[in-house]
Amino acid sequence: MSEPFEPKIVAFVCTYCTYAGADLAGTSRLKYPPNVRIVRLPCTGRISPMFILKAFQKGADGVLVSGCHPGDCHFDHGNYHARRRWTAFNALLHFTGVPEERVKFSWISAAEGIKFAELIDSITEEIRQAGPFEQYHKLIAETGSVASV
Amino acid sequence: MSIQQQYRSRAKELLQDGSVKMVIGYGEGTTATRRRPIFITNPDDTDRLVLDAACKTNLAGYLLREGLLADQKSVAIFLSPSGVRTINILASESQLSSAQVVVLGFQIQGDTVKALEGTKASDFSPLIAKRKEKRKAQPSHEMTRKLEQMTPAERFAFWEGEFSRCIKCYACRAACPMCWCRRCVVDNNQPQWVNTSSHTLGNLEWNLVRAFHLAGRCVECGNCSEACPVNIPLHLLNRRMTEEVLTAFDHYPGADEHQEPVLASFRKDDPETFIL
Amino acid sequence: MTKILYSDDLTACFSAWRKEGTKVLGPVQQAKTSGFGEVQDAKELDLDLVLTDRTLKELFFPRTEPMLSYSIGKQQIDTSEFLPSEHPCIIFGARPCDAAGMAIDDELFNWDYRDEYWFRRRDRSVIMTIACKESDDFCMCTSLGLAPDSAKGSDILLRPLTSGKGWQVEELTPKGSKALLPIASLLKEGTEEAAPTAEVPVLFDLEACTTWLANPENFESHFWKEISERCIGCGTCTYLCPTCHCFDIQDEGDTYEGIRRKNWDSCSFQLFTMHTSGHNPRNTQSARWRQRIMHKFNYFSDKFSVHSCTGCGRCTRECPVDMGVRETLQAISTLPK
Repeated sequence: MSEPFEPKIVAFVCTYCTYAGADLAGTSRLKYPPNVRIVRLPCTGRISPMFILKAFQKGADGVLVSGCHPGDCHFDHGNYHARRRWTAFNALLHFTGVPEERVKFSWISAAEGIKFAELIDSITEEIRQAGPFEQYHKLIAETGSVASV
Repeated sequence: MSIQQQYRSRAKELLQDGSVKMVIGYGEGTTATRRRPIFITNPDDTDRLVLDAACKTNLAGYLLREGLLADQKSVAIFLSPSGVRTINILASESQLSSAQVVVLGFQIQGDTVKALEGTKASDFSPLIAKRKEKRKAQPSHEMTRKLEQMTPAERFAFWEGEFSRCIKCYACRAACPMCWCRRCVVDNNQPQWVNTSSHTLGNLEWNLVRAFHLAGRCVECGNCSEACPVNIPLHLLNRRMTEEVLTAFDHYPGADEHQEPVLASFRKDDPETFIL
Repeated sequence: MTKILYSDDLTACFSAWRKEGTKVLGPVQQAKTSGFGEVQDAKELDLDLVLTDRTLKELFFPRTEPMLSYSIGKQQIDTSEFLPSEHPCIIFGARPCDAAGMAIDDELFNWDYRDEYWFRRRDRSVIMTIACKESDDFCMCTSLGLAPDSAKGSDILLRPLTSGKGWQVEELTPKGSKALLPIASLLKEGTEEAAPTAEVPVLFDLEACTTWLANPENFESHFWKEISERCIGCGTCTYLCPTCHCFDIQDEGDTYEGIRRKNWDSCSFQLFTMHTSGHNPRNTQSARWRQRIMHKFNYFSDKFSVHSCTGCGRCTRECPVDMGVRETLQAISTLPK
């Protein structure tokens, strides 16, 4: 019997809010699925769309990008810039056929340990239902094969 | 006097009285229907200039040639409205000073060419403002609408097919006047964010990066699609991005040279319906 | 009497070859661009094209191919090598300029060492070329000493019949003759005449050009800047050239696993000659265009006694700014030596 599918999810989070929120979830002993690999960055303004592409290139089934609520940015407006970037990039991903459930954006503050745990729970479940990102994995696999003609 | 004749004399005058050191325009190409960019510095050569409905290439990128504008002298250039918008964007991104650019404006309508009044990029701002309203009302490309109705898997398959042909000659990048980076992000190898090989994965990554970096900067001049030797519908990606910034941020790229770059500015009440 | 292959028998030929385990490829339209692809039926071919957009070289020298993969574990390092298959294939309907290009590239890939990636694919393939009845405004094979029915690089040459119903078959190599064995019963003896080949005008004096290029004084000529002023430095001309062969070796991956690949590269790119120090010996686009022309008509010719150009005209045909070998050589042939 094959193992049930466990999605690989990469979360790019800012250190001041969402990372602290994740920390709070931990210290509060809240349970959430271990499918998420967290990458901590100084600010959502530092999260380039290139990171998202890299995560998929390395086989991620889903990506979460998360930071401080608008108005709460440690650097005053990093998340406002990020928001514009995400708007454009999200539209682009949608237009090129990356399913909505595979890339999520959220605001999670340092006080929202519960929101963090619940969100991880729900996106993991959603991607588990959707299955592996086969279309992307096929492209990755092709890089290691010789053209037939 | 034909518009071509009129513009030839104007180019000649500009060179003769020393107000510009060069005229960038169109000349005859290899075949009767082809036009090629030409660079005129001698007033006697202005007879080589051609202006007709086949003059489609956006020439603005040539202004960024290393050293061309370094001596503070002016250059005259044949520009359609999208070319003028290019000048505005390049000026707002500090790539050139619009004061050094003398515009020889024209507009192609079907098989004919219309002269446009004005010499400075800013003279065309009212015209561009009108085009913004027109762009807002313009329905999406037929193919875009078709794509939007597909499932994500079908869309992915469509683009996979298109990108599988990409040979990574980077003609789209070279032909784009907005791609002015000295070192493109995909040519950096520390870190190497996206694959440089032209397998479908690398091609998908490159094309996403290209389209994203042009979001809110693309003037839809069509240079990229024209240059693509394997006919990938690059314009669909760019147009989709233009529509996104137009609806989300009311941003029409190149409206004037004081416009803030859309992804380097923000409003506190920007829409965020998709953020959880 | 000559051997004749009728178009109506083509699909039967393809089946006969496939029965022998041979793949059949030919010029096909693939989503708004033409190139060479595998075909089952003659109907899939587009034999009316003057020339495919993409060249024959892609079949022997793909734009990207894996060479080896590595993975580093706690205890061991694993590597594995990729080599192209030796599955035999027949390429039906190449053009003489493309076929000649392959023969020119053979010289290069067998010069300081034998490039297995190239020759494995070359050795397994039989090239059946169709002589050109038509040409377009960009064709210039005759200016390069070739012709619309040149046999160079081909294993079999097919001459279209006047009736348009088939081709005269000319065997050129033992490999070609062997490829005809499975379809021997489909070849008819006949006297039908071949259609006249395309009339391709000679556009420049190649001799005059090479003499000018060989003169060291002209290396720094102002001509180079003038002729290439509008070049935007994309790689279209090199990537669509049957004889351009430059490649780059890239490692894709990280410390623990990855794939080493052989990718097309182009002398039009600024990065092509960029040193790690930041110094770039070919720092202007005109120097890069000069390199392309000099390589084709001087350096390559010195080394291999053949020019690295077959006059297919794709460089001009596909150039976004209407440049190309044609314009440059036309201009050079009018310059004082």
